[in-house]
Amino acid sequence: MRIASLSFRYGRRAPWVLRDARLVLDPGDVVEVTGPNGAGKSTLLRLAAGLLRPVRGSVEDRPRVVGYAPERFPADQPFTVAAYLRHMTAVRRTNTDAIGHWSERLGMDHLLGQRLPDLSKGSAHKVGLAQALLADPGLLVLDEPFAGLDAATRAELPEIIGEVRARGGIVLLSDHQGDLRTFPGLRRCEVRDHVVREPEPTEEEAAEEALTTLEVAVPASRAADLAARLRAEGCAVRVTQQAPGQATGRVREEAG
Amino acid sequence: MTAVLALARFRVAGYVAGHRALQPLMGLLVLLAILYATAVPAGQEIAATADSAAMLVPVLAWAARGLLDTEPDEQRGIALSALGPRELVSGLLAAFSSLLVLAAVAEGMLLLRLTTSPTVAVLLTGVWLHLLSATAGLALGALTSRPILPSPAVSTIALIFGYLSMLILSMAGARWLTVPVMGWMRDAHHGVLLSEAALISVQSLLWPAIGLAAYAWLRRTRP
Repeated sequence: MRIASLSFRYGRRAPWVLRDARLVLDPGDVVEVTGPNGAGKSTLLRLAAGLLRPVRGSVEDRPRVVGYAPERFPADQPFTVAAYLRHMTAVRRTNTDAIGHWSERLGMDHLLGQRLPDLSKGSAHKVGLAQALLADPGLLVLDEPFAGLDAATRAELPEIIGEVRARGGIVLLSDHQGDLRTFPGLRRCEVRDHVVREPEPTEEEAAEEALTTLEVAVPASRAADLAARLRAEGCAVRVTQQAPGQATGRVREEAG
Repeated sequence: MTAVLALARFRVAGYVAGHRALQPLMGLLVLLAILYATAVPAGQEIAATADSAAMLVPVLAWAARGLLDTEPDEQRGIALSALGPRELVSGLLAAFSSLLVLAAVAEGMLLLRLTTSPTVAVLLTGVWLHLLSATAGLALGALTSRPILPSPAVSTIALIFGYLSMLILSMAGARWLTVPVMGWMRDAHHGVLLSEAALISVQSLLWPAIGLAAYAWLRRTRP
């Protein structure tokens, strides 16, 4: 997917929010959009998701299935959580089994019978995430996905993002909470002064990444499986065999 | 069920469950109570049908606008991310289906208040004129919905003036410049409505078609 020379403003006389933004997103990319408040992060996310139409430039090769979770889920709707998600599975042409799956993953089984307007902010936010994930999106756009979530779901969400990446999906998100800072292979792009740029990693970050090496000893039969899982999470993996007679494989993992 | 129909169903369900559908329904019932305080005398069936269809336009526009505006803006964004531009088709489909229900209520009430049994010609004229009325209401409602006119005050005024302009222009005889609602009534009362049915259909569908095309074009930059 490619954001090509994209410029956007909300009206003819309104100031430009983004000017000549360029970004290439490859399958498996997880990109965090950073920048000060009001810089245009949410606008960039909406443009990427197809909610807004660029004034100039274009978004090319957007994956067919897009999941979008807004910063504030619109809870003022006359449905229970289950009824709302059932409608969304019909709209997404996907199986209703997905409701049970994502409700369990996001720790919201107990909310299914509740009415949307009665939900707390965090619970409503989970519904927003669930609807975005229902159809296995090729592009998942999350606007502040960690805001208001409980600890268990905060821990689960990076796993889910890793799974979307592992099957070749693109994840684009803004995250003021910083929960994804340590996510392996995370790309960052910064929106500042109407411009989108990818900052070079700081020396500290680069040094940290170069130095983080993890050695894991596993039975040889499991080495290939573990190496594949780690690669899916963006790690560089080198498998070395130990001396004959020792029935273990050695997986050497390097960050980045 | 296609995704467009599923989204239309979701929107109609939200419109009904949120009780917003009651507002135009109450308006319609008041209008019908006034229109049919006395029974329709024999020979006036076609004229009564035309009166009903013409007076129904603002109520139907109100209903269409209400349905399109029921959904929070962020939910419309979610729908857009799921369906892309087909989201717009789904909204219009949902709105038109709700207008058909209101038009059917009006038509049913008219038939109940006839003093003689309705002929096939009366029935078909009723369906035809109320479809024209629903199309005009759909276009006016869509053009005054929140994505196009975010201010509720401006939107309400635009809806009222939109209907008034239909009345005034068609009263002045400018049939091609608007939906000729006054022309429907005049022709029906003069007994020439059915002989000019094809021309009236074209005149009545022209501006709604332009209005809906304008709505689709404006929505490109107004999600």
